[in-house]
Amino acid sequence: MKNNQYIGEGWKHAILIIGALIVLLPFYMVVSISLKSQQEIQSISGGLIGAQEVQTFPVCTKMGMSDETCTMKPYVYNYWFAFKKAPIARYLLNGLFVTVSIFLIQVLIALPCAYALSKLRFYGREFIFSMVLFCLLIPVHAIALPLYVMLAKIGLVDTYAALIIPWTISVFGIFLMRQFFMTVPDELIDAARMDGMGEYSIVWKVMLPTAIPALLAFAIFSVVAHWNDYFWPRIVITGNRDLFTPPLGIREFRGGVDSDEFGPMMASIVTITVPLVVAFIIAQKRFIEGITMTGMK
Amino acid sequence: MHYSKAHIWFVGPAVLLMFIILIFPILLAGGISFTNYNLGNPSFDWIGLENYEKMFSRKTYIKMIWATATYVLIVVPFSVVIGLCAAMLLNSLRFGADIYKTIFFLPVMATLLAMAIAWEFTLHPTMGIVNSFLANGCGGIREFLFGFHWLPWVNSNESWYHIACENNNDFPFWLKDRGYAIWTVCFIGVWQAFGFNMVLYLAGLTSIPRELYHAAEMDGAKSTWEQFKLVTWPMLGPTTLFVITITTIRSFQVFDTIEVLTKGGPSKSTYVMMYAIFEKGIQQNLTAIAAAITVVFIMFVILLTFFQRYVIEKRVHY
Repeated sequence: MKNNQYIGEGWKHAILIIGALIVLLPFYMVVSISLKSQQEIQSISGGLIGAQEVQTFPVCTKMGMSDETCTMKPYVYNYWFAFKKAPIARYLLNGLFVTVSIFLIQVLIALPCAYALSKLRFYGREFIFSMVLFCLLIPVHAIALPLYVMLAKIGLVDTYAALIIPWTISVFGIFLMRQFFMTVPDELIDAARMDGMGEYSIVWKVMLPTAIPALLAFAIFSVVAHWNDYFWPRIVITGNRDLFTPPLGIREFRGGVDSDEFGPMMASIVTITVPLVVAFIIAQKRFIEGITMTGMK
Repeated sequence: MHYSKAHIWFVGPAVLLMFIILIFPILLAGGISFTNYNLGNPSFDWIGLENYEKMFSRKTYIKMIWATATYVLIVVPFSVVIGLCAAMLLNSLRFGADIYKTIFFLPVMATLLAMAIAWEFTLHPTMGIVNSFLANGCGGIREFLFGFHWLPWVNSNESWYHIACENNNDFPFWLKDRGYAIWTVCFIGVWQAFGFNMVLYLAGLTSIPRELYHAAEMDGAKSTWEQFKLVTWPMLGPTTLFVITITTIRSFQVFDTIEVLTKGGPSKSTYVMMYAIFEKGIQQNLTAIAAAITVVFIMFVILLTFFQRYVIEKRVHY
């Protein structure tokens, strides 16, 4: 009996390890290519990190730099050239700015609304809540075309505003916060009113602190979704490189498998993907909770 | 409950934005779809259902519907079943479950666009590790395994693997190959999605009370499979329904992998709806026809969610 269980456990691990290898394969490829030289990439040799032979890079010398500065190890060259070729830092800052703005505006708009829907009594409340429920059905990506037409009509294409505006309203956020506020006892709010607090201070000084755990999960959900979003930026940012978000930066690098240098391209992918992946590995539980939050009802 | 005027300032902005950003665009798309409007043109004419007629008669759009349907019908069942299997395997492990969970969840987290490019390199015909792995395995154990020579009805001299080896390592070109592109994109879709489903199933599994398994055992359900049929599967009903709906809606919206890897090709075999909207509406400025696709798309999604809610109310409660 005991032996049998060990064999069973062994089989399970065998299956899961094969699965894990398939899942990790592209990650391995990105890291490996970002370290190796072009020759090693094309001949599929050199294992994970390649031989790292010091060499002079022709693409670099063509840019007018001396042979001496252009002689280095492949991994140094790949990362150096990635940063040289594109303002990756700028892309990362753009991504940070856009995702943080989106999140803050979402909270600013959703939190008071959720408070009103859960704790205040007024005419039309039920109607507004059913409107929220209906809007939950609409994926913003699906209505990208009419939104684009509207933004184009008012001349906002190729601006930060275009990247942010469609996401300012998060019906999911309203719904989530409302469900959360329903569990907050009315006595807490009544006590605050007795102390002479106005409705505004109640929202930001009483309700907001109670909602921190839910907000944190929502923050992760929102930031991950918008950091990784490629579709919407691709539509509204047509040419202005200064506004590129990280995924657009990656896209720019990919001049096509058949034309460009692969090492620097993969180096840029690593640089852009790493922040989120590292954050995920550090705060795994919170991330999984935040991203699968759409599952709680 | 409390009476106050503050609510106007609390719900006002949200209601206004909901209307402008979510509801009005649907009406706008509906309106545009009955015209011949192109962005940039000063005027337009009402042309009735012409755009919709085009959509259901022209070859391009028929292919679009095929590609979308294929993608959804492959990615949803595979990512749901693999997600469920992974969750059940992890749930029964004595140790190490957390590591696998982290690994399987990585693709959900990582920027899909970046990972699509990574797959492109992995599957590249000459530089890709997959094809070189296959070519190096000619005549060996890999050929036996992946050529399915172990199945009794496969003739080992006629398997796809053997033929490719014979013809100077003529393995599939994956994304560049008309016959394989859509399946390759589907594979990347499953790779990306199953970890999400797995986590939802893990949550579902922990909420099943242990006593139910004891009760099932008393009733004679001894084998794992019988217990699964009697307890696990029915108890996971609501999770499954939710997982299927959300995966379907997401698969309908596939865009990143298509745009960067195939651009809808080869010969429109991966021309999915979101890419069609992007190509027609944004790149070629054919706003009206893209609006018609948008309308059909939204109908699909909303119907699907209504269907899910209906089923939840009718059946899944126990």
